[in-house]
Amino acid sequence: MVSETNAAEIERRRAEEAEAESAEIDRTPVRTYWQLVRQRFMKHRLAVFGVIVLIVLAAYAIVVPFVTGDDWRQTQLFRDDAPPELFNEDGEFTFAILGYNENGQNLFARLGKATQTSLTIGLAAVVIIVVIGIFIGSIAGYLGGWMDNLLMRFVDIMLSLPALFVILMITAFFGQGNVWVIVLAIGLTGWTTAARLVRAEFLSLRDVDYVQAARALGAPPQRIILRHMLPPAMAPIVVAATLGIADSVVVESALSFLGFGIGGESASLGTMLQNAQNYFFSGPLKVVYPGTVLILIVLSASFLGDGLRDALDPRQRVEK
Amino acid sequence: MTERHTGPLLEIKGIKTHFFTQDGTVKAVDDVTFAIGHGQTLGVVGESGCGKSITSLSVMRLIERPGRIVAGEVLLNGENLLDKSDGEMRDIRGDQVSMIFQEPMTSLNPVFTCGDQIAEAVQQHTAVSRREAWDRSVEMLRIVGIPDAKRRASEHPHQLSGGMRQRVMIAMALSTDPDLLIADEPTTALDVTIQAQILEVMRDLREKNRMAIMLITHDLGVVAEMADEVVVMYAGKVVERADVRTVFGSPHHPYTQGLLLSIPRLDERRERLQVIKGTVPSPLNLPTGCLFKRRCPHRMRVCDVAPPYQELGPNHFSRCWLTPAGEAPSVGPDAEGPEAEQAAEALTVEAR
Amino acid sequence: MATYILRRTLQAIPILFGVALVSFAIIQLSPGSPIDRFRTPNVRPETLENLVRLYGLDKPIPEQFVSWITAFVQFWRDDAWGYSLVDGRSVRDTIVDRMPATLLLGGTALLVTIVLAVPIGILAAVRQYSWADKAITTFATIGYAIPSFLLGLYIAYVGTVIFRGAFPSFGMISLTGEGRGTPLDVAWHMVLPVTSLAIQQIAGWSRYVRAKMLEVLNQDYVRTAKAKGLSAAKVTYKHALRNALIPIVTLFGLTLPGLLSGAVITESIFSWPGLGLLGLTAVQNRDYPVVLAFVMVGGFGVVLGNLLADVLYGVVDPRIKY
Repeated sequence: MVSETNAAEIERRRAEEAEAESAEIDRTPVRTYWQLVRQRFMKHRLAVFGVIVLIVLAAYAIVVPFVTGDDWRQTQLFRDDAPPELFNEDGEFTFAILGYNENGQNLFARLGKATQTSLTIGLAAVVIIVVIGIFIGSIAGYLGGWMDNLLMRFVDIMLSLPALFVILMITAFFGQGNVWVIVLAIGLTGWTTAARLVRAEFLSLRDVDYVQAARALGAPPQRIILRHMLPPAMAPIVVAATLGIADSVVVESALSFLGFGIGGESASLGTMLQNAQNYFFSGPLKVVYPGTVLILIVLSASFLGDGLRDALDPRQRVEK
Repeated sequence: MTERHTGPLLEIKGIKTHFFTQDGTVKAVDDVTFAIGHGQTLGVVGESGCGKSITSLSVMRLIERPGRIVAGEVLLNGENLLDKSDGEMRDIRGDQVSMIFQEPMTSLNPVFTCGDQIAEAVQQHTAVSRREAWDRSVEMLRIVGIPDAKRRASEHPHQLSGGMRQRVMIAMALSTDPDLLIADEPTTALDVTIQAQILEVMRDLREKNRMAIMLITHDLGVVAEMADEVVVMYAGKVVERADVRTVFGSPHHPYTQGLLLSIPRLDERRERLQVIKGTVPSPLNLPTGCLFKRRCPHRMRVCDVAPPYQELGPNHFSRCWLTPAGEAPSVGPDAEGPEAEQAAEALTVEAR
Repeated sequence: MATYILRRTLQAIPILFGVALVSFAIIQLSPGSPIDRFRTPNVRPETLENLVRLYGLDKPIPEQFVSWITAFVQFWRDDAWGYSLVDGRSVRDTIVDRMPATLLLGGTALLVTIVLAVPIGILAAVRQYSWADKAITTFATIGYAIPSFLLGLYIAYVGTVIFRGAFPSFGMISLTGEGRGTPLDVAWHMVLPVTSLAIQQIAGWSRYVRAKMLEVLNQDYVRTAKAKGLSAAKVTYKHALRNALIPIVTLFGLTLPGLLSGAVITESIFSWPGLGLLGLTAVQNRDYPVVLAFVMVGGFGVVLGNLLADVLYGVVDPRIKY
């Protein structure tokens, strides 16, 4: 009766718990490193937001110029500063969601092209930064000693140069308006942080057991560096590269803004901003559009970078 | 020294301190009750994470978000500290109740001199001049056995060794002549030889000042040396409480027994140390009923129900279903006998 | 301490040397020659050759470098840094002329930054998770993400369009009118560019101050201070802040170089006649002597700033002994 129900209930609970107990022991799942990374990353809402925004922007930069073709520089007749429209008078579909600028160019298409240009330059510059950074950082970190000292003095010298100004110098002197010069200029001045990161990782990895073992087995330095030391050092590199993209895009925009960047009729976020300076009163939105894209790039890249940093190496958890 | 109040110096009744985290509520301290008399030393023992530190921080009301004391009373000389205002608590902290912590290497502020830090405590609670406070701190340093006290007082913490820093902490804590010293694992981070010295300092001062000590540790050796009474904690609850002789001589709770058995002994020949099987349960995933049941060698079916906090004798309590003689209970699903069932029902309702 | 400073100064010399080397190399490697500006159809080849000899451009490059740098270090001489290819003035004089404007702008911005960012950062740290903290962190993140030139642009926009010219966005002093040239006039002109510089810096600084304060507030010695019964104010401002100040003070030292190399972009947007603008126009005009001098001044500023940061660190942290 009553006591039976109680006893039965206790019995049931006990069985439940016994199962839960054994399940718990079996339950500890084996997750791979990457699954854990992904899990930690997803917890960062801001970082996820950053990824989404970046993907959207990248899509914008790829798709829109492709779809609109030449519209970004094609001056449409009688469309100077025209308001947004979807179909022009011939009934053709135009993608003029943001209207036209003072030259009758499709602003939406132009913005897309500008984003494409800026992002491409940013990415290319980051590639150079990462390559040089890894190269110098790994040598310094692996060899240590006088070579390390020498390379770090070199880094100090590079850091003592006024960066933006040197980039200005390089772009102005070596070929203004040349995309490759710009990419090289940004890349050649921006590798210092990456190099330091790699060096720091390598210095601490040198004494790690598996590296010592590899050396004892007679593995050549290249193999040790590439196979054993570089992979764990990649985490901070990835973070630095992400932030570096934003940085490089900003530098490129600043260059173009000052008149040292892409030349001619090319569109980049910087040139659009420089142009917009003249239209404060008449066309204030011209400042807003490229500026917003630029801010979005920087914000989402920095959120992404933060999320990656926490996901890849939770030890480094800095106060959020 | 404050006026003596009849009754124990410190009484903790039913304290519950919970932490409300994103992953769930952690019941770090869940219904803890004990008392410390004037001049008495209470040892609080348990594994890491059992809630002993949180208990001490609760007494000092130093619990911060996301933690909160959700229930219970802390009676110091009969007055409930939980009712006091912030200002009143600040007067009590460092004056009537002082605390020293586990990590002497980081517990002192690196930018101020040792003497300044002690003098600060003195000036906070007594109306003396800077000169007098400084003199007092030099005196305290001398008392705790720091050689060349005057010079040391003008030095910064990083210039002192770990053992000396802990002495400085003790000097600071005792400079205001507190009634109660809470020592949270004061010797854990130190060498064994230094440990002996520190304990001696504490014993000396305890003698001289008739000071009560709440000594938190996981080291039973320290407890045996210093404590009058012992409280054993597990997963946020008190599982046994008794005077020190009883705890070491005839421990009742299986956890206490396990702790004592796992101490390596010189007079035994063993190949393996005896351990308590299993691990402390995660605070977010506590078992129902007795929290120790998964690791207990005496586990019974009745343990799925929360055990009563039995009074086994004068000042000996144990949170276990076993009888004082250590046998299966006379009531409950593991018991035998016809009265068993009825009593089981009554008991179950109670204990749940 | 004195020996430390001496040692650091000696270490700085090869770095400055390296800076000189790199900038000289960039100029030498770039196509064109300093005398190209004189190459008009009317100029005879012999004149050009004379110019080349005059400027020492026919000498081997290492020799050019040596003669340049030996002259450069003798900064007390009027001709030490050469003469501008554009206006013929002594480069050293031009730089000295323009430096105060830049220092004024940068110095004021830094002052504003410190006065505002430190309390804001402390507030955010002490009231972590409160709405104040969230607001401050959001503002700081966004402010930090906006590129400086964009911010300058927007501030100029706000000042010009929204406030209808209440604040000038051009130059350092008014061109006409009675009050021109007075400190008040200059101050009025400084409002927009300083705001632009300061917002960016405040965003960065307050994040840093907040982070450092939080780090310190989690330290054991803060817990000890509370256990001693000290008031919240004493714990925060005496025990915690004093420790957080150490990295903040070094940040101050590291920010100083930025003052010298001038806010190139800000000066450009607001036409502020400082070093930054000077450098910019020099690059545009291929005025190599000025460009070189500018880089060297910037490099010197960085080295000085680093040294200052380290020295301040040693002063403020009793654990460091030089």
